[in-house]
Amino acid sequence: MVALSLRGLVSRKLRTALTALAIVLGVGFVAGTYMLTDSMNKAFDNVFATATEKIDVTVTPKEQFDNAGTVAMSSEVLRRVQAVPGVEEAVGSISSSGGGDDSAVIYTKDGSEPLVRGGAPMLVVNDPSERLSPLDYVEGHAPRAPDEAALTKGTADKGGFAIGDTVRISGDGPAEAFRVVGIAKFGEEDTLAGSALAVLQTEVVQRLLDMRGEYTSIDAVAEGGVTPEQLSRRVAAELPAQLYNVRTGEQEARRQAADLQDQLGFLRTFLLAFAGVALFVGAFLIVNTYSITVAQRMREFALLRMIGASRRQVLRAVLGEALVVGLAASVVGLLFGMVIAPALRGLFTLFDAELPSEGLIVETRTIVVSLLIGTVVTVVAAVGPALRATRVPPIAALQDVASMTRGKTARWRTPVAVVIALIGVAMMCGGLFGGGSAGQAAGLIGGGGAIVFVGVGLLASHLVRPLALLVGLPLERLRGVSGRLARENATRQPRRTASTSAALMIGVALVAFIAIFAAGLKASVDDAVDRGVAADLVVQTETFQPVPSSAARALAEVPGVETVSPLRFASGKVPGQSGTLSIAGVDPATAADVIQVDWVEGDQGLLRTFGGSQVALSDRYADEHDLSVGSTFAVGTPTGREVRLEVVGIYDDNAGLLGNMTLSNELLARDFDATRDAVVLATTAAGESPDAVQSVADETISAAYPTVEVLTKQGFKDEQAGQIDQLLGLVYVLLSLSVIVSLFGIVNTLVLSIHERTRELGMLRAIGTSRAQVRRIVRYESVITALIGAVLGVVLGAIFAVLVTIPLQDEGFTTSIPVVTLIVLLVLAVIAGVIAAILPARRAAKLDVLRALAYE
Amino acid sequence: MNAIPIVTAVDLRRRFGEGEAAVDALDGVSLELPQGAFTAVMGPSGSGKSTLMHILAGLDQPTSGSVVVDGVELANLDDKKLTQLRRDKIGFIFQSFNLLPVLTAEENIVLPLRIAGAKVDREWLETLIETVGLGARRTHHPSELSGGQQQRVAVARALISKPAVVFADEPTGNLDSQSSAEVLGLLRRSVDELGQTVVMVTHDAHAAAVADRILVLADGQIVHDGDAGSADDVLDLMRTVA
Repeated sequence: MVALSLRGLVSRKLRTALTALAIVLGVGFVAGTYMLTDSMNKAFDNVFATATEKIDVTVTPKEQFDNAGTVAMSSEVLRRVQAVPGVEEAVGSISSSGGGDDSAVIYTKDGSEPLVRGGAPMLVVNDPSERLSPLDYVEGHAPRAPDEAALTKGTADKGGFAIGDTVRISGDGPAEAFRVVGIAKFGEEDTLAGSALAVLQTEVVQRLLDMRGEYTSIDAVAEGGVTPEQLSRRVAAELPAQLYNVRTGEQEARRQAADLQDQLGFLRTFLLAFAGVALFVGAFLIVNTYSITVAQRMREFALLRMIGASRRQVLRAVLGEALVVGLAASVVGLLFGMVIAPALRGLFTLFDAELPSEGLIVETRTIVVSLLIGTVVTVVAAVGPALRATRVPPIAALQDVASMTRGKTARWRTPVAVVIALIGVAMMCGGLFGGGSAGQAAGLIGGGGAIVFVGVGLLASHLVRPLALLVGLPLERLRGVSGRLARENATRQPRRTASTSAALMIGVALVAFIAIFAAGLKASVDDAVDRGVAADLVVQTETFQPVPSSAARALAEVPGVETVSPLRFASGKVPGQSGTLSIAGVDPATAADVIQVDWVEGDQGLLRTFGGSQVALSDRYADEHDLSVGSTFAVGTPTGREVRLEVVGIYDDNAGLLGNMTLSNELLARDFDATRDAVVLATTAAGESPDAVQSVADETISAAYPTVEVLTKQGFKDEQAGQIDQLLGLVYVLLSLSVIVSLFGIVNTLVLSIHERTRELGMLRAIGTSRAQVRRIVRYESVITALIGAVLGVVLGAIFAVLVTIPLQDEGFTTSIPVVTLIVLLVLAVIAGVIAAILPARRAAKLDVLRALAYE
Repeated sequence: MNAIPIVTAVDLRRRFGEGEAAVDALDGVSLELPQGAFTAVMGPSGSGKSTLMHILAGLDQPTSGSVVVDGVELANLDDKKLTQLRRDKIGFIFQSFNLLPVLTAEENIVLPLRIAGAKVDREWLETLIETVGLGARRTHHPSELSGGQQQRVAVARALISKPAVVFADEPTGNLDSQSSAEVLGLLRRSVDELGQTVVMVTHDAHAAAVADRILVLADGQIVHDGDAGSADDVLDLMRTVA
């Protein structure tokens, strides 16, 4: 029986190859994801180990609550650590953060733009002690003067910097020029995990970041005879535990690695989700291919049964074939993963998110998971068709094949399909409205979606005829008999066409869903800006860093600019409540001119006198926590303090601009360590055209602050839409793999169907059908199949999108249907259908007429 | 009998395979089929009768020799031109009917015209449907028709484009005797009433007896060419030549 399985494989090369290819792509995606994330992990592990190698004890500020961010430590802490007995040397390190408040920008050689965008951070650090330094200077030396800088080798290579060149760096101010005096390696690495890294003198870093006398970590070495653990305990005893973490170098490396695991885990799950979709689509293809093959081989199976093969042996023959194909394809897929991993990395780079990685790590886990998943998916998908093969009666060997292809399953198929689809919808609703954790909800929605796909795939056979009529009639009108025959052929075996197009439906549905969701997101942003922003100009940085306060001052000097008002964001936590509060900070003197608050209690005038411990709450937060004007409550801050606030106003935050609560910037600066402006809003003087002012302002500001951009309201909306589009592009590319897999399915089905229709095609050619006409018939059938999938996909995607956005509508989500995108999707399906038909059409047209007619 | 030849073949040879395994399916066949003639081609299995028909119909190429159909020399035609020739000048009737299962009887009949993109002559279509006796079943699909009915549809399909010549390959091979008689009667009428030229390859002496002329092939050569008599005459003939 094994020999028979193998023989079967060889004799059906093309369909085996196409089936295998679907698995190769899916498994390759899975393997590539693991390889990429493992490689990234390795890169970071090396970095953390190098960074802490020479350090015995390190002190870092403790994050007060989730997402609070950390607060720098003063020189007082450094002095206290230095005074601990057993400390031989302790130094204060300062590093800009990878993003957010205390971040810095290293510019390209011509100073016009940031050296790195997205993904990997730009870091500006000091190198206070040769002894503790993780840096090895391969050229030159550490900075010895305020205008000197050293770069890591990777940074210098990326930017084309050499010793003696000028590098521009900015923190909370305009870009400043430094002379490159050193090039260093980070341990063995050219740089720190893909980042751009510049070393400046301690005071210079502190000044650039506006953190004079402050440090982000304090690193110590123990005297001889004192273990890191002992020293760690002694240092910890000297410092308040609720503000500082004291760890040994090893512990610190482990903690950083663990933190990173969480973030990589997210990336891994994100990518695996797409790999899973590709495999899911591949499973559809396999079910379909095996169903057709088994139907065509019924006589063969009957013959086997007649000469004494048991049902079990027939089952084994079919599953054996699937096992061999699945395993072989998984092996190839695993190898293909080595191509996918760098390709994924390249893809992220293309979308401005550089991922650091180290070589190509192939863990045993990657091999096991890849081989297992590919083989299991193939075999499981073949079980249904294999069971059908066992049900063929031996007598069928003597009968007409056509009479046996009708399955007995038809009667319960429809109700079962409906039930499956409803279970899927119920699961999705459970995820959306059930109020479980985010993880549970995502699992339920995703799993429910997959089940809906299966249900609709089963139901689709009922929809094939009407849909084929819908999409096929125009073809018939335009192209006459070719269109007619294509349509009839497409509907001849509705189940086959249904499951072929269902595979495409999945990819299209997800694309449509994402497109509709993104369009809603854009519309919501537009809406929020229109409703909440009264300013004419919006100032932000293209690197998601704060706007330097000096840039805001410079803006105020631009002719035509009237009011300039900064917005800040911070987080807080009410003791005893779960979750982190989002807090907006406003400048009371100017806020009323630039933001339009939808007051429930209070009015715009309130903003002008806003200050002290006054707080305005979003109506949702106020309702949830039973607060009203006049109430007071306490909020914990990132600096570890607690402030008492008095509610003076309540607003409707449908625009989503101000978050849970709004405070004055003064209070944020004092108690929340929020000293930098996230966004600066400005109005233009009456009679001035905002566009004209914007172009002058942008030019003026950009000259000194290359990353700062001055936008009009419309420009800001466009910028936001651009960011959404960028993410959308990435998701589209990742989903395209699934669509490609489903195209293989169309190719496969067409090839198999053409094989069945050999005689008909021979007759058509004999009575004068040209090769071009035969090709056309096949091409149109392909297009009809693709369009059925696309139409089902678009409809299903739209339903999913509407369903998923229902809970978001309370939060100001505006649903918007991107009609043009959806039409483009249908057009693309037509093109995909044409492409999928190339090979089968050529086969059909090449048919030898005489042999086709002689074929019985 | 009319003198204008619709199909002319000169010294046709067709060799299959190479070297020692080579088989000459046709070994120097020449013939002329005048317009309005009903010719039966007979011969035992492997005599080359099917190969002859395939070559005359432009489905196969002779190794040497020439074929002219309705004034067109086939040797110089590429696949595209041959396809057009089959479409415009030749009608086919197959042993196994070969109707498209997805189309109705009427749609099957007009299929050659639709492939050619030509207009359907309604009057001619009605005449044909009436002649083949399918008026009540024109909207039926082949699976709803008996074998005889299917083959009558096939006859109408072969005649719809008023071809120069109709080739019928064992048209009664899959039919019972009554259906056979009906189909043969139709072919006879097409010759007598419409002046159609018909070439029929057959094993069946009763079928051959309906024709005007019988060609008998053996080992790739014509061994008899003469008027058809009764079925008994044909049987006698076959006994003598085979």
